[in-house]
Amino acid sequence: MSSPLLRFLARRLLHTAVVLLGVLVVVFALLQLVPGDPVRVALGTRYTQESYDALREASGLDRPLPVQFLAYLGNALTGDLGVSFRSGEPVTLILLDRLPATVSLGLTGITVALLITFPLGTWAALRRGSAADGGIRAVSQFGVSVPDFWLGLLLIIVFSTVLGLLPPSGYVPFTEDPWGWLQRVVLPGLAVGVVSGSILTRYVRSAVLDVVGSDYVRTARSKGLPRRTVVGRHVLRNALVPILTVAGVQAATMLGGLIVIEVVFAWPGLGRLVFDAVAARDYPVVQGAVLLIALVFLLINLLVDILYAVVDPRIRAS
Amino acid sequence: MARGARTAALASALGLVLAGCSAGEGVDLAGAGEVDTEDYLEVAIAGEPDQLDPHSTSAYFSFQILENVYDTLVEPDAELEMQPALAESWEVSEDQLSWTFHLREGVTFHDGSAFTAEDVVYSYDRIIDEQLANAYRLAAVEDVVAVDEHTVRIDVSQPTPALLAAIGGYKGMAIVERGNVESGDVQLDPVGTGPFEVVGNAASTAVTLRANEDYWGEGPHVPGVVYRFISEGTTALADLTAGEVHWTDSIPPQRVESLRRNPDVEVASVPSTDYWYLTMNQARPPFDSRDARRAVAQALDREALAQVTWYGSATVNQTAVPETSVWYHEYAPFEQDLDRARELAESSGLTGRTVGLMVTNEHPETVTAAQVVAANLAEIGVATEIRTLDFATWLDEQARGNFDMLLLGWLGNVDVNDYYYNQHHSEGSNNAQGYSSPEVDRLLDAGRTETDPEARKELYDRAAERIVDDASYVYLYNPDVVQAWAPELEGYEPRPDRAVRFKDVRLEEGTG
Repeated sequence: MSSPLLRFLARRLLHTAVVLLGVLVVVFALLQLVPGDPVRVALGTRYTQESYDALREASGLDRPLPVQFLAYLGNALTGDLGVSFRSGEPVTLILLDRLPATVSLGLTGITVALLITFPLGTWAALRRGSAADGGIRAVSQFGVSVPDFWLGLLLIIVFSTVLGLLPPSGYVPFTEDPWGWLQRVVLPGLAVGVVSGSILTRYVRSAVLDVVGSDYVRTARSKGLPRRTVVGRHVLRNALVPILTVAGVQAATMLGGLIVIEVVFAWPGLGRLVFDAVAARDYPVVQGAVLLIALVFLLINLLVDILYAVVDPRIRAS
Repeated sequence: MARGARTAALASALGLVLAGCSAGEGVDLAGAGEVDTEDYLEVAIAGEPDQLDPHSTSAYFSFQILENVYDTLVEPDAELEMQPALAESWEVSEDQLSWTFHLREGVTFHDGSAFTAEDVVYSYDRIIDEQLANAYRLAAVEDVVAVDEHTVRIDVSQPTPALLAAIGGYKGMAIVERGNVESGDVQLDPVGTGPFEVVGNAASTAVTLRANEDYWGEGPHVPGVVYRFISEGTTALADLTAGEVHWTDSIPPQRVESLRRNPDVEVASVPSTDYWYLTMNQARPPFDSRDARRAVAQALDREALAQVTWYGSATVNQTAVPETSVWYHEYAPFEQDLDRARELAESSGLTGRTVGLMVTNEHPETVTAAQVVAANLAEIGVATEIRTLDFATWLDEQARGNFDMLLLGWLGNVDVNDYYYNQHHSEGSNNAQGYSSPEVDRLLDAGRTETDPEARKELYDRAAERIVDDASYVYLYNPDVVQAWAPELEGYEPRPDRAVRFKDVRLEEGTG
């Protein structure tokens, strides 16, 4: 590897760390603005002034905000994200418990999106103006327009209720029962993947169109190279940079979609955890989960940047 | 305290899970996998329990499970009258200050240890000494004594006819086992005397119960129960129709009608013991005038309110107590009458005013209902300004009396005293509307200590009529308990108190 690439990596890692710190500050600040007193909610029926004061003190909520933040930051760096107000379990354990379900769903969604995106987008672009192009554009427009939760419910109604092909909900770990896992991940995976995939398909199509019209592709064609080589080596590779940008954003956006999809499919992942934790004002869990999601988001972006640099060496220098 | 109780009761019933901070246990991921749950009853509940300690949790999702794991000394039947459970019989002393319970013999906890009077003493002392969620229910209790191994005496400071409802009304008053509590296992692996025992607790996906072979009562007739957490009603119903689960109460109100037409699903609804109401601040004009309040009571279209908020799955009611309760009293003086309402509004100076209506987005049905109330009041020349607040602020504003009108509900009432005393006695802890009637005070005080059931009901009937006439609360409706199950599930009955019991159910052969 060349040293410009290493320098580039170092710079990007530093950048990621700074952004992560910024996320921490923002999440912390936003939670202060959320209405509803977490101590009061946590106490529920056991609310008395004494128990209120005691819990406030025990959870450190009586200390000045900067002190609370520094304490949180210090603990977070050592992997201690506090304990849940609801269950008293360490947040780190809760997150680790939920992570596999979300990762397996997210990867399925990305796979679905990619399976849709590249073949359809390229195909449509290469047959621009044909019936196939029109059909693909219409379908992707539909995919872009439907809300993911609605698509999820639709999939449940069609594939579970009407056709009886797949179970409507639930989760089993891949390691325990791969077949059971696959049956259950298909519908939520489709729901997440189709929306992202539809958006991406449109980008792939236009990126490929741009490249197809460029001089070097015309040159390659005029040299009499086989079509497959032209598309594979010249078109797709050059179309990849703009597609990567959007794909990175889409993969991250998909994380947001997971929250809703996990609720719809009763999928025990991070999304549903955030949903429940927000409702219960379980701040440590919300904070921890948002931090983890932000981390994943940043890692995806980092990965995209690295891929850029690999695909197009000019980017390293800039 | 009682306001806290309402916060929690409301929140939990609507799916928010609340609980405290206590040292946590790890998550037992392996548990559920080790049991062969092939023939088990599979049920879908709308949310995840926060923890399974019956004395600490206030989450309805926890109690849906704990109902089948724990017993109380007495328990309500379908009409919510108290029947023997762990106590076979009881008697009250002449002066009404001492209750003696004779405990069932030969009962064991799930871990095999014997159930004795000491367990009762330990359980109640724990609730009182640690001031746990239900300590207020035992406020009148002076002492709990183990007379012998199978006899317990509860001494109270004044005659307390509602004591049975207080100790048996729900599983928050369950008899727990000392070792299980002291080890901390009670939070995830509770040990009770009930028809089922917890065997697997895969947090975030399911809780598994196995039939208790040594259960003291009839049943259970299924080998176990698996509780799955499915908050999205459409998904839960798809699971039900696909045969993935046998029972669910995760049902969107707008789906109830179409479900009833589905021959493959059994649906039942009964009015719950919850009630929703509108009240007006009597410390402020114009609602210091009884006529102004009655104008509002006369203007409301309760049927429309029930339809809009629950798609008809609610029973309109002008008093608090639902018709399924032995304490029900038929009294409904306020059918919508806009002419009469306009007259009252005119004479009381309400006409032409703008009044505030405080609701909370934590309970979306109040926000929806507010639209109907505003439309109704507009018809009698009163403008309504709807204030939608978060619940903590809402409670603050209520406590400070900073409102004209508000809408909310009370959940999980059993004894008739729960329905009226704190809300309408001039010393009541939840009388935020500032209602004060010497006659109602007298009736409610007498009702608390009257031990003859018929005389007691008479007292509350009169109090209720007065409260309704004075429009201290304008009662709206009791939401229905709506539950659906597969036809192969036999012997299940929905209950007005939302207790979900599976000890009597069977799964028909060859199905499910």
